[in-house]
Amino acid sequence: MAKPLVLSLDGEEFPVKLAKIDRERLYGSVTVEAFDEHGDEVFLRVLAYDGKTIIDKGGTALATVTEQGDSIPRNRLIAVSSDGEELEPVPSSFSAPNLLERATVEDYLSHTVKSVYALEAAEESELDHLRDSLSDGRIYKFPFSYRGGLEYDGAFLIGNKEGIFMIVGQPAVLKFLKLGQAVVLEPTEEQEVAADDLDFDLL
Amino acid sequence: MPINISNEKQRDAVVAMEGVRPKRDVRYVDEDMNAVFNRRLLKTDVSHELPELMKKLPNFEDISEALVDADPEIDTENFGMFLTETSRVYVGDGGIVHSVEEFEVVTNPDGTERERRPRKKEPQNINTDVPLKWTGKFIKKPDAVKRFVFAGKKQLAHINGLTFDFLYEIAKKLHEEDSLLLLRAGEHRDRPLVMNRGGKPYNAFLEGRIEGDSYCLILHLSNMELKRPAPIEDDRMPATAKRKASAEPEDKKKLTRAKPAVTEHDVADAEPKKIKAAKKKADTKTRK
Repeated sequence: MAKPLVLSLDGEEFPVKLAKIDRERLYGSVTVEAFDEHGDEVFLRVLAYDGKTIIDKGGTALATVTEQGDSIPRNRLIAVSSDGEELEPVPSSFSAPNLLERATVEDYLSHTVKSVYALEAAEESELDHLRDSLSDGRIYKFPFSYRGGLEYDGAFLIGNKEGIFMIVGQPAVLKFLKLGQAVVLEPTEEQEVAADDLDFDLL
Repeated sequence: MPINISNEKQRDAVVAMEGVRPKRDVRYVDEDMNAVFNRRLLKTDVSHELPELMKKLPNFEDISEALVDADPEIDTENFGMFLTETSRVYVGDGGIVHSVEEFEVVTNPDGTERERRPRKKEPQNINTDVPLKWTGKFIKKPDAVKRFVFAGKKQLAHINGLTFDFLYEIAKKLHEEDSLLLLRAGEHRDRPLVMNRGGKPYNAFLEGRIEGDSYCLILHLSNMELKRPAPIEDDRMPATAKRKASAEPEDKKKLTRAKPAVTEHDVADAEPKKIKAAKKKADTKTRK
């Protein structure tokens, strides 16, 4: 059985299981099929800048290179903060209890959402106290990393009539603007979204 | 990107809308603490993949030998080149195709197909002659976060002194209301927001914050409610669909099944290749 995530509130521990939720599981999805004038199916591919090299899925790779353009293997890279300090890896949040702290709604709204999970009590545990604590609109947060890594994301617990949810996100760069900080208006981008990127239209 | 938005008094102005990036504190350097960069490069192109090789060497044994002896799957001149300014094209058996018909296949959460229809690319509706309307529908922030997942964020910014006052007043009003304002597009205030032609539609909620003489106006975009998926039953049919289906009279069920898969335009236009080919074959047989 998968290891539960342990949440800690008011000295009580709540082992929980996570079930990922996304749009596809709630509403379904939309895919695009395309056909040429003879009714034969055609497929989206990448065309290189030379106008003749056609690349299928899996035909490209990401490489890390130095300023001179030389490839450098990942095991020789060093992760640093914006101040240039070398970063210590953070452990997975599943490895120890996670202490919950009160969060404001503005704090939550200042994060860009990466993933959403529904919480279930792990075997033989009860979530009553946690549910009660969230019932009056309170939000709790804790630093979260699924597998461990270089930095934590922010995880927020929100309760509603459907249950308890954990929303994981990263803090967003929000700017408070003054009179002298007018921006230059760029023209409307009539750029099309790639056809295979579309999974909308069920609203 | 410009956005045409109206205020409480239904006065409208074109202002700027900017993307909101997540704060990122991690970057990578090499052993000498010099910055490194990620670049996309070419691994292989379609002319060197197995289907193309099989056109020249139809059996696998010959291909295996060729792979060992002559490396026909590798283009030593081009593989490994950095890719910049790529574009996406439709490709068929004969190469790039410029005229295509696109269809959307709508799938239920359990994977069953719900609908097949010609694709419509809705134009953007955030900067048109009809400004985004001040709907007056305020949702208290604690209620909004319990109901919706905000998948994206944008920030509104002024482009001159006049629009600074315009946006500051909107932000102040929303700050005082402690609420998000529902924004809608279209003449009848009934359309979700579409940022680019053919892009995803989003329900949009405007949040305003004030700090002294500065403002922050955030457009929260949502295409998902905060709820659990409906359980999928053993027979792979969603509970709601099953109830609906069993409640229908028998003749209606037949009628539903008899409907063409494509809901708009000529059905013949929507027929995939295999169906067309089968029909053609059947016609030929009949004529014979």
